[in-house]
Amino acid sequence: MKTKEQHIQSLIPKKFNKIEIIWMSFLLLIIFAGFLAYVDQLINGLEVTNLNDYSLWGIYISNFVFFVATSFVGSATVAILRLTKNEWRTPLVRIAEIISLAAIAMAGITIVIDLGRPDRMLNTFIYARFQSPITWDVIIIPTYLVVSFLLLYFPLLPDLAIMKKYYEKSSPKLSKWYGKLSLNWTGNEAQKALLQKSVTIVAILILPLGLILQTIDAWLFSTTYRIGWKSTNFGPYFISGAFVAGIGALVVSIYFVRKMKNLEDYITDFHFDKLGKLMALACMIYLYFNVNEYLIPAYASTLNEETHLNTLFTGHYSTIFWFVTIGGLIIPIFLLMFKKGRKPLPMLLIGLLVVVASWWKRYIIVTPTLLHPYLPIQGVPESWREYFPSLHEWLITASNLATALLIFTLLIRYLPVVPIQRTIDEEALLTTDKKIES
Amino acid sequence: MSKDQIKLRFIFPALLGVLFFFMGSANLFAQKAKKNKARINVEYVKLMNGKIFFNIKASSRVNKETIALSDIDLTVYNVLDDEDNELGTARTNAKGESSFSLNSINAIKADSTDTYHILVAFAGNDAFKKAKKSIEFKDANIEAKIITKDSVNYVTAVLTDAKTNEPIADQSLKVQVQRLFKPLRIGKEFNSTDEAGAISVAVEEGIPGLDGNLTLEVVLNESDDYGTIKSMVTGNIGVAFVDESTYDQRTMWSPRGKTPYFLLFLTYSGIFVAWGFIVYLFINLFKLSKS
Repeated sequence: MKTKEQHIQSLIPKKFNKIEIIWMSFLLLIIFAGFLAYVDQLINGLEVTNLNDYSLWGIYISNFVFFVATSFVGSATVAILRLTKNEWRTPLVRIAEIISLAAIAMAGITIVIDLGRPDRMLNTFIYARFQSPITWDVIIIPTYLVVSFLLLYFPLLPDLAIMKKYYEKSSPKLSKWYGKLSLNWTGNEAQKALLQKSVTIVAILILPLGLILQTIDAWLFSTTYRIGWKSTNFGPYFISGAFVAGIGALVVSIYFVRKMKNLEDYITDFHFDKLGKLMALACMIYLYFNVNEYLIPAYASTLNEETHLNTLFTGHYSTIFWFVTIGGLIIPIFLLMFKKGRKPLPMLLIGLLVVVASWWKRYIIVTPTLLHPYLPIQGVPESWREYFPSLHEWLITASNLATALLIFTLLIRYLPVVPIQRTIDEEALLTTDKKIES
Repeated sequence: MSKDQIKLRFIFPALLGVLFFFMGSANLFAQKAKKNKARINVEYVKLMNGKIFFNIKASSRVNKETIALSDIDLTVYNVLDDEDNELGTARTNAKGESSFSLNSINAIKADSTDTYHILVAFAGNDAFKKAKKSIEFKDANIEAKIITKDSVNYVTAVLTDAKTNEPIADQSLKVQVQRLFKPLRIGKEFNSTDEAGAISVAVEEGIPGLDGNLTLEVVLNESDDYGTIKSMVTGNIGVAFVDESTYDQRTMWSPRGKTPYFLLFLTYSGIFVAWGFIVYLFINLFKLSKS
């Protein structure tokens, strides 16, 4: 058992060490390269990309869908585990909340990047047409962003007050900032009651919003009359896919945060085991929807469906398709069945596999369909029938991912990744229970 | 001799050398560059009771590919007794096409055999050689009518020489119904005019038209002697179709000003509920800071 001071000492954010500084420099370098590529795109327009009249949505929209999916971790783990009173969630929720916030912020930015003229983003508000899923997306993303922020911020208040006190002498400036952000938290009963009520509301609110966000994201595709997208299965298919991507990102993040911040006492094998089971469940649900998504069209086998599915099963995109299906779903499910597979290191490897496969999954949802338009135009350039991102697109994509990681790294630098006050309270409760038992 | 003078002694010949070197480069001088041959096609078109014009197309074969000659000026002449009378100029568009209209056939003169001679000339430019194309044609008319015999509708047409009013036999006429994208051909593929210069084609029942009106076209297409002549006649012999436009209704495919009410209600309700909670949560933050 640790004392309150020991907990604070262990969980308080610490300055970057050498490895973290190198990591930050690496991220900044990638972001800078992506920034240069974006400036060039801004000057010369989308012609610097390999987007064309067929592949009008390419890697940028794949990134957008990936970020939206990853942001679901806030709803999937934090809200569900909080509302179902799963106590083991405590050391994991804040990391999930940070991932959720970073991912949804980057999803919004990615959409702006996809526009050749970013100033025209305003038109989506000025000329909003409620029949269009794009308008629904424009509404839901800022809403989810604000709620994700509140989901992170409310439970942080007691910890911010602790940090204000902790840094009072060693760093008064930092202490002042934490003080302002803690909103004069003293922990009195009225504040506790209001905080508890607010956290419950935000946890309830983010759940339907998360489902709506993923569904709207799916409807962006399924409301278009296109092979591979026009599916009533797409809503739950995207939700379950987001569940997988989000938990994958959470597992990878938790492994590294635990290692870098020496949190082995707080994030234990038990947590990885629990997360492993959750991930296995998510993968199984997603696999089920995958079967629905591909088996029925393959069974019906209309000419257009057949052409599209052949591209995925045996054609140009078959390598990626089988990688994301086998590597991203079947192998993880199989490995997570075993207790050894749910240990930290195997979980990291599985998590990485799942995250990489999740990104490529979005790529093969977006691209192959676009290359099979219903109305082939005679005499179109041969280059329109294929799409592979240009160097600009890759640099900007890498930069987007690096920016998300930068936001994550900065937040875990200045915020306690494991809730301090809640950990102390839970341990005090445990001690009281033991005393009562004895 | 000063230092500056010495420098000039070298700099001046050097500059001259550079100048002469580039003068030798053929690429800098368009008049010495190899020019491509220009091709001109001219088609005479007469719409009965309508416009008379020449469809002109300019192209060239460059590197075994046919390219359109856009933005070039072409001069149109009426040739009579070896004399070229300029009618005007026409500029080609991006597809290398141009249309030169006449107010009436009287704007040009025919020779003693009632044949018109038209010459279209291109003066040439830096990239293409000069070119010209001449065509000859006689003026003819098509008179089309819709008649009903034994409850069957027919379109009849007579092709006559405009000067002599004599019927023209053995010419192939097309009969078609005017449609939005492409005309609908009816009758046989070739309807040859008889000795009276006439044809007759039955119009099948059930062809839809606005208020039942059908516009039928009788076309003499690219004839060597008479060019293209088109006559149009409209009659109420089709099936009236009901306009099922939802233009004025509130639908999922209408513009934003005509969004269905249920959708407006659902979306606004969702926004108000979600943002209502968000505002409430921000108020709670404010309360927390004050408690």
